[in-house]
Amino acid sequence: MTDDDTLSDGTRSRRRFLQFGGATAAAALAGCSGLSLGGDGDTGPVSLSDFRGSGPLVAQRPDPGGTSIEDLPALEGELTLYLGGGEGGLYLDLIELLERRYPDFTTNHRLEASSDLANTIIEEVDAGQSPADVFMAVDAGSLGAVANAGATAALPEEALSAVPEEFQDEQGRWVGIAGRARAIPYNTNELSASDVPASVQDFPETGAFQDSLGWAPTYSAFQSFVTAMRLIRGDEETRAWLQAMLDAGISEYPDEFRVSNAVADGELVAGFANHYYSQRVKSARQDAPLDLAFTEGDAGALVNVSGLEILQGTQNSELAANFVRHILSAEAQEFFATRTFAYPMIPGVQPVGGLPTIDELDPPDIDLTELADVAGTVDLLREAGVL
Amino acid sequence: MSSSDRFERLREQTSAEHTDSTAPTLLAVVALAISLFVLSPLVWLFLRAGEIAVPRAIELLTSQTTVEVTLNTLVLVVGVTTASVVVGVPLAILTAQTDLPFRRFWTITSALPLVVPSYIGAFAFVSAFGPRGALAGLLAPLGVEQLPTVYGLHGAVLVLTLFTYPYVFLTTRAALLSFDGTVVEAARSLNHTRWEAFKRVTLPQIAPGIAAGALLVALYTLSDFGTPAIMQYDVFTRMIYNEFGARRLDYASVLSMLLLVMALGILAVESRLNAGRDGAYVSRGSRQPGQIRLGRWKVPALAFCAGIASLCLVLPIAILLRWLVRSGTGYVGGGFAFEFAYAWNSVGLAAAAAAISVLAALPVAYLSARSDTGLASLPERATYVGYAVPGVVLGLALVYLGLAYVPFLYQSVVLLVFAYVVRFLPQAVGTTESSILQVDPSYIEAARSLGYDPISAFRQVVLPLVAPGLAAGAALVFLTTMKELPATLMLRPTGFETFVTYIWLVQGAGYYGQAAVPALILVGVSGLSMLVILRREGSS
Repeated sequence: MTDDDTLSDGTRSRRRFLQFGGATAAAALAGCSGLSLGGDGDTGPVSLSDFRGSGPLVAQRPDPGGTSIEDLPALEGELTLYLGGGEGGLYLDLIELLERRYPDFTTNHRLEASSDLANTIIEEVDAGQSPADVFMAVDAGSLGAVANAGATAALPEEALSAVPEEFQDEQGRWVGIAGRARAIPYNTNELSASDVPASVQDFPETGAFQDSLGWAPTYSAFQSFVTAMRLIRGDEETRAWLQAMLDAGISEYPDEFRVSNAVADGELVAGFANHYYSQRVKSARQDAPLDLAFTEGDAGALVNVSGLEILQGTQNSELAANFVRHILSAEAQEFFATRTFAYPMIPGVQPVGGLPTIDELDPPDIDLTELADVAGTVDLLREAGVL
Repeated sequence: MSSSDRFERLREQTSAEHTDSTAPTLLAVVALAISLFVLSPLVWLFLRAGEIAVPRAIELLTSQTTVEVTLNTLVLVVGVTTASVVVGVPLAILTAQTDLPFRRFWTITSALPLVVPSYIGAFAFVSAFGPRGALAGLLAPLGVEQLPTVYGLHGAVLVLTLFTYPYVFLTTRAALLSFDGTVVEAARSLNHTRWEAFKRVTLPQIAPGIAAGALLVALYTLSDFGTPAIMQYDVFTRMIYNEFGARRLDYASVLSMLLLVMALGILAVESRLNAGRDGAYVSRGSRQPGQIRLGRWKVPALAFCAGIASLCLVLPIAILLRWLVRSGTGYVGGGFAFEFAYAWNSVGLAAAAAAISVLAALPVAYLSARSDTGLASLPERATYVGYAVPGVVLGLALVYLGLAYVPFLYQSVVLLVFAYVVRFLPQAVGTTESSILQVDPSYIEAARSLGYDPISAFRQVVLPLVAPGLAAGAALVFLTTMKELPATLMLRPTGFETFVTYIWLVQGAGYYGQAAVPALILVGVSGLSMLVILRREGSS
């Protein structure tokens, strides 16, 4: 243990003390209760059915393959997690299941946008070290930014070997935990799948799309998609494409859930969104005229990942490593597939909801860590007048 | 005993010298220290900006985007401020000086929109007036195909005006209630028309009150992030946020500096308008003007009040209730279950921020109120700068400074409350100063001549008289702290959620139904603190 570690450990207890002294007793109590979402004292055995979502699609599913949590060492101790993105709510459900299963395991979590947390971690590591043990983010760009800042620690070999190489960092600094495919949600009253071109490059000239497409350019998944296009086609061509999309009268939305809803409402004919938003719209409104198309081999078919990394300077590296293995267990991957409609990251678990399997998708051949160049993309989006 | 009687008697006395003889130096030092302390986070901006090479800085400052966004921001600030005056001043006159039916009720409904966070208001408007929104749904059967878009400049002006005009309403109303109405009657007896009397007599008297409210509106507009972002209108805060997201701190800090320059510009303009402001706050007498009889204007006046209340209160609450009922948005986010601890966290933070702000405001306001030199009001002016710093910028500055210089305070409640004090102190300074101005300095001298030392004299004589003003300031800080989002997100201790962080997270994930209940509770709790502000006026 280095001096730095000792110092920061003291720092942490002091912080906790200040939480008590800071505002009111009530505030302090809540601050220290950590995670007690969904009712206290909710402990007891947890089975596969707890991890699995419900509904007709899920009922027919075979048992998932892969390493079961039954075969992993028990989780014990307290872990501080930075959770990126709105999907954090669902990740919390998963973490809560783990806490129920292991009464000696507790987490302290911070939920914000992935890119904000990445920035925070980089500032924290610059200043000494981060109070967080694990960073769980919804895009590889944020994971890459933290990794490139040299703020990560080693991941366990068992976790890395469970996940296909294209969904982890080349140097093993982060690992994917759930896949998020770029897709084209379209309104089935207006279009059929064959009306959607196989390449995003053809979108601006597609007649059916004039003044009726939507995107969410401030959304980080969209920016990753543009970053991917820059990596594949270069800045000039990407700028021209953005310009052409604007000329074709594309509408701007604050996020991709709203894009998907607008397509289902008929406000848009089609849009740019991650695949699971449409699954969510459909699970809320079963007869929504909404389906997904996928482009082929280009940025439009990017499969980004939610992933995690262990942060440099953690006092809990053993617990953190064991936690990562739990997140990549058969049960947890079944959770991601059936509850968040994400692509599972281990081969033994299938996606749900009529999605093509991950090997049927045709993602572009790029290193996901390079998606960290968000700054260049924001520049380009601004120059093109998109932002 | 009514305070008017007290002032009436005081007015008869010849007031002695304004300045208190012993304490001013100490007072000035304390006030200066407080203002420097609250300005300290800005050091970070200078540190960051100092890292930029000059040519790069010039290139950034003169880029087309920067120029466009500057213009956009100015247009928005001018638009919202003007519109707030247009809405707030008539409401203040109607509720303070006319025979409007149910005046008490309309006073409350006119002030209450301040408790609705503007980002919730913006969501409500998008939800109601957006394409395929609630209104479009209602009108579709009538053959209305398309509504004019709510996005853009006019949407941003509309929403920001509706949720910030109460600043103008409250300060104008306070000025109206405290000025001597007999002057108006004198003017009227000189055959001035009612309009001329208003223009020549009333307006100059209440102008400083209007200006004080307009200043708060302008600075709020400058720093607001949520509303322009939701209304898709490009302003500084939105750009700064994107630049931070892209980790380009040089451009972000250049933009932040530019934003501060604009804030200083607003302060300078307000300062000129406000030259004679002392007069507006000091009660000149109890002679209320004869009420203006509305006559046939009664119905339009009522319609105006009701129209504003519908847009600001009924609409957002109706939309929140609709979210509550129509909450099926896919799976249930069990991880997002609401906990009452969040409510306590919010209330605890807001109470702490309010208490500290009032304590810090006292010396600053006292110095400014009791001195005639411009130099003495410098600390007071300085505190206003914090109000114009966007929460995003302040949050990042404190993350950076906290980590670098006071790591044991990083992610602590202490640093978070400090952020609130930096941002909201001017609200407490404003109300405190106006109530100090209403206390005749000869009171203190009387106490001093009876052998009290300055501090005891202040505590025994001034404090009881200014207590209602302090309470109003505390209430204002309390309710704006309850609503604050960006700094709360960045600086809160890990694992420590509040009302707004919870609302932000669930609405960001699309669980509008879950955002509805806490948003309604937030509006309710803040509404209670608004009653404190209005009670200050007594039974006017």
